[in-house]
Amino acid sequence: MISFEHVAKRYPGGIQALSDVNFSLERGELAFLTGHSGAGKSTLLRLIALLERPSRGQVVFEGRNVGKLARRHIPYLRRRIGVIFQDHRLLSDKRVFDNVALPLMIAGLSYSEIRRRVRAALDKVGLLDKEKMFPPMLSGGEQQRVGIARAIITKPPLILADEPTGNLDPDMSAELMRYFLQLNELGATVLIASHDLELIRQLGQRVLVLKGGEMIDDLPARQRLAGDSHGA
Amino acid sequence: MARSARRSGYESLPGAAGLRAWARRHAFSLLSSLGSLTRQPIASSMTVIVLAVALTLPTALHVTIDNVERIGQGWERLDTLSVFLEPEISSDQAQRLASRLTAWPEIAAVDPISPDAGLVELSGQLNLGDLGEQITDNPLPWVLEITPESDVVVATLARRLEREGGIDLVIVDLQWLERLDAILAVIQQLISLLAALFAIGVAFIIANTIRMDIQNRREEIEVMALVGATAAFIRRPFLYSGLWYGLLGGFLAWAFIRIGLIVLSAPVARLSGSYQADFQLYPPAPEVTALLILGSGLFGILGSWLVVGQHLRRINP
Repeated sequence: MISFEHVAKRYPGGIQALSDVNFSLERGELAFLTGHSGAGKSTLLRLIALLERPSRGQVVFEGRNVGKLARRHIPYLRRRIGVIFQDHRLLSDKRVFDNVALPLMIAGLSYSEIRRRVRAALDKVGLLDKEKMFPPMLSGGEQQRVGIARAIITKPPLILADEPTGNLDPDMSAELMRYFLQLNELGATVLIASHDLELIRQLGQRVLVLKGGEMIDDLPARQRLAGDSHGA
Repeated sequence: MARSARRSGYESLPGAAGLRAWARRHAFSLLSSLGSLTRQPIASSMTVIVLAVALTLPTALHVTIDNVERIGQGWERLDTLSVFLEPEISSDQAQRLASRLTAWPEIAAVDPISPDAGLVELSGQLNLGDLGEQITDNPLPWVLEITPESDVVVATLARRLEREGGIDLVIVDLQWLERLDAILAVIQQLISLLAALFAIGVAFIIANTIRMDIQNRREEIEVMALVGATAAFIRRPFLYSGLWYGLLGGFLAWAFIRIGLIVLSAPVARLSGSYQADFQLYPPAPEVTALLILGSGLFGILGSWLVVGQHLRRINP
């Protein structure tokens, strides 16, 4: 699904965010990307969604070298990737419903279809009763779930999350991570950048570790224990 | 094959479904642009007023020149021809010629001026006192002042008169009219230059407004780009905004001109009354109005295209 081959990213001004990163993520896999802040986690995600282009090496998504994609094809690439941000990136002057509906409006779906799918997505994240509210009226966890609903509304094959639990308390974080595991079980490939090591360890999924712009570790998923909460 | 396979999923829907999707996206952009205009009524109306003022100046000049030209056409009709008869023509012959010419359909009136009367008039004009008493041998010929009918081309009539027997010289004093025409042509050219300048001004005023609009909606644009909005989709509401600004500015400029004409009509009527004339102010022609409003709208689109394109390159590397 995704593979990085000798990827380096140097920002203008000489900051080397990534140097020679190699890894791949199979379709249907879920992995955590961890490391200290400044290790290059966000940059790595930004390269996949083509918010940045790599300085060197290849970022391959669905068999295509993303770094070489023509500018006019970028939107269509992004429609196949649901991105969730720590700061939600919701539009505060638009209602929850319209925020979640945005990707579908862009795709040009009919209003009845949009309505049906937005309500289904909001139902999935437990916010159906908040559809008429504005994002600032919601709690941090609720806003993050609106962001998730928006990211999954087009059923993208890949979901990227950048510190999704950054501003949340531990209970809320654990609940949110379970959403991602559910999405993964429904078939989506998921890559989550997080420095919440405690939570990551509990979940026992594959963990990629970045340090100073290099991939220093790739821990495979633990065998699932009997009675694990997120089993089939 | 490889190319079409590669494209699938990264392109929009084909056929009728694609057309419906296109129409829906357009409706979304249109509403979104109107929304942003009404969300900031003060900023929007300030832009529209600045545009209107910028557009009013060249248009008002054009309307002024247009009206002066119409008045000039009226003056041309009032113009007379001075027909100098040959020196040996006697009073009787001159009077006969005068009454013959009166019968011409092109001629409204003939006013014969005898050499004596001419001398008195001339000495009066030149402030020479009693010239007639000092000159025993009057050198002036008989002169017929001819007023043509209003629809007659004066130059043609002059050529026809020159072919008549007994006529020495036909003088048509069109020079001042030609000068007026030349002056008007210069001003006309000036207006074209001004109009071009102001059109660029309109594009930049709108570009600047849209730029501020983009600053305010930077977050929205970025989010739209993140969830896969195409450049065209992001650009479209701003292009519509530019169009609305341009159209409204053009329309308001037209309204300013109409109001100006109404305000001026009474003083102009008084002025023309004092000349026993019947001048009337004409509003801009429909083509000019259409050019004003549509052209302004077009430059609005152009202006916003420039800024949005510049901003989009930053989001999509």
